[in-house]
Amino acid sequence: MAISSFFGLQTSLRGLLAQQRLLDTTGHNIANASTKGYSRQEATLVAAPALEIPSGGIAGGSGAHLGAGVDVQAFRRIRDQFVDLQYRGQNTNLGEWAARAGSLERAEGALSEPGENGINQQLTEFWNAWSDLSNANADRGAAARNVVEKGITLADSLKQVRAQIDMVKGQTYAEYADLARPAAPGDTGGEVAQIAQSIAELNDTIKRYITTGDIPNDLLDQRDQLLDNLSEFGQVSVDAQADGTINVSFVDKVASGTTYPVVTGTTASWAGPPAGDAWSPGGRLGGLLDASKPGGTLDGYLASLDTIAGNLVTAVNTAYNGTFFTVGVPAAGTIDVSAALQANPLALDAGSGASGTTDYALAVAQLRDGATVDQPYRAFVAQVGSNVREAIRQESNAQVLTDAVENRRQSVSGVSLDEEMSNLVRFQRAYQASARAMSTLDEMLDVLINRTGRVGL
Amino acid sequence: MSTRITTSMVQRNVLADLNSVSGKLTRLQMKSASGKEISRPSDDPFHASQAMAMRQSLEATRQHQRNVQDAQGWADMTEDALDDITSNASLARDLLVQASTDSADPTSRKSIAAEMEQLIEAIKQGASKSYRGSYVLSGAETTSRPYAGGADDTYHGDEAGFDPTLPGIVREIGPGVTMTINTVGRDVLGDGQTANDNKLLHVLRDAVDHLNAGDGPSLRADLSRLDTNLDHILEVRAANGARAQRLETALSRLQQTEESTLGQLSETEDADIAKTLIELNSQTAAYQAALRAGANLVQSSLMDFLR
Repeated sequence: MAISSFFGLQTSLRGLLAQQRLLDTTGHNIANASTKGYSRQEATLVAAPALEIPSGGIAGGSGAHLGAGVDVQAFRRIRDQFVDLQYRGQNTNLGEWAARAGSLERAEGALSEPGENGINQQLTEFWNAWSDLSNANADRGAAARNVVEKGITLADSLKQVRAQIDMVKGQTYAEYADLARPAAPGDTGGEVAQIAQSIAELNDTIKRYITTGDIPNDLLDQRDQLLDNLSEFGQVSVDAQADGTINVSFVDKVASGTTYPVVTGTTASWAGPPAGDAWSPGGRLGGLLDASKPGGTLDGYLASLDTIAGNLVTAVNTAYNGTFFTVGVPAAGTIDVSAALQANPLALDAGSGASGTTDYALAVAQLRDGATVDQPYRAFVAQVGSNVREAIRQESNAQVLTDAVENRRQSVSGVSLDEEMSNLVRFQRAYQASARAMSTLDEMLDVLINRTGRVGL
Repeated sequence: MSTRITTSMVQRNVLADLNSVSGKLTRLQMKSASGKEISRPSDDPFHASQAMAMRQSLEATRQHQRNVQDAQGWADMTEDALDDITSNASLARDLLVQASTDSADPTSRKSIAAEMEQLIEAIKQGASKSYRGSYVLSGAETTSRPYAGGADDTYHGDEAGFDPTLPGIVREIGPGVTMTINTVGRDVLGDGQTANDNKLLHVLRDAVDHLNAGDGPSLRADLSRLDTNLDHILEVRAANGARAQRLETALSRLQQTEESTLGQLSETEDADIAKTLIELNSQTAAYQAALRAGANLVQSSLMDFLR
């Protein structure tokens, strides 16, 4: 069987075209070197279907395959789905501890301890004032006024610290509620709802490509990037469907198997957190919720402050044998020096006996550094300190782990400009070589067409 | 998996390293600026609460020193009053010795009696000394003068401090340590003739009566009664002196405690400046090195070498 003279031209053309596609892909990679979530792509080449030479076509009588060049089989993105899963897990952790650390650090700041402005210092001055009063056996006007002043300052400090922690609690919860707000008519919802909407839209587009057999690499990258973003907010589970869409839901960290749908097929199905916030999503939502929910960490701080304030009131009033402090609920928010004493500090009764006795004042002064007020307060400060310290430590641990996984992912999917440059050179050379092969064939045909059979002309 | 190092990995790592070094620098900078090892409880929760406890006990120690100094003032004033009483009582004794001899005639005894009346006034005056507005010998009735002038010899204070069931004048001189510091005037001077208590005022009033009556033997008996009272005053003064001694000891102990607490507090809370500065310098050097290395790493690429 004769083989077409122009067969080689076709082979070279395929080579030229394939190298062009490779160069295109390299250009795409370089262009997206800084695109977040982009995974590098490569064109996969296969040898083109060979020309079958039937038996007897060549010497020896058997058939053969003559190579016909190259074809671009696919453009694929290079990505490891398992590293994605690890990244999302770590990112959830990072989100949780970062949110917790941020919130608790502000509560810690409200204490302004250790220092000259904290409650510890106010307590010191309060006890000193009582001790001075116990020394004033006659003419105790100045000392009594001082005791009432210091009492008011201490009560104000307690109220202020409590109010600040309460405010941090409120702000933290508001942040949580805003992030988790579901979409409603006229409202795109919080970040979770917005991400859900974007994923649902991408699902729709991707589904249309996949059903026609195309693989929209860049759209898949975008969808993976959105999942990464979503994983910061809570523990995410992704369920890939045959039509190319994914179902996304938050997974409860405590109640195993309980899920909260975010995206179902091509619909954004995020309906907000369950009633009463009875869930543990982990991530930033979980961190914020754990800190701010009723009975959460910040609530615990408020309760501790209330206990300390209550102890202070009971202990001082008992020792004073009367009503020095008045208090309501919550204790640390309502503690105050009794209105009668504020109006008339000289009514302060320092002792049980004759005008010079100061045994009540002495009894109050001796509460200093005791197990009712000062020690529990110090323990409280130490507890806040350790909570913050733990959150910061866990956050930086999670950061290190997230970075490590991200590095691993970049190692697989990231664009290496050096690599792309060397590819560029390689593909360019291959293109040049293919072109050379074509011109060689051209010269051959020139000989055949223009010079053959011209003997004697 | 053989590691591919991609451009963004290099950038991320350089950035992360720079961040961590500059974070350390910031912390050291804060430490050297504030001079404090602990600026928030989370820097070191245990030591932060320890530092708070030390601050509290430091302030308590200072307050106790103030209390002791106040108590010393009280004791000094009491000593003053008792000294006054003693010297006037001794003068009275001299007069009594003079008048009790049988050679003394009624006229001179009468004039001695008049002098004796003046001494009684002076003694009551001496007992009415006050410290920061409180009569020191009135017990807890610190605003009532213990003895009025004139013929009224009754004690107007109370027995607080002498009678253990009544709270007296008490100072807290240490954590949980209190001390009653007052002396009760009745214990020294009594309530005069009507009470018939054989205390100083009773004896002196009796002596005045006996002088006016010219009763020599009774005067000699009065002399020995006066001596008993002088002995008692000495005992009371000795007790007050012992209190002053105890206060002195307490004060010097409190001063020592203050110094050592201050030392401990500084050790817990304050940054070691020399160490901090050295660390600061070495971290600055590390930061510059990281910057240089990062700059070289991020800049170079294969592109520089392809023509």
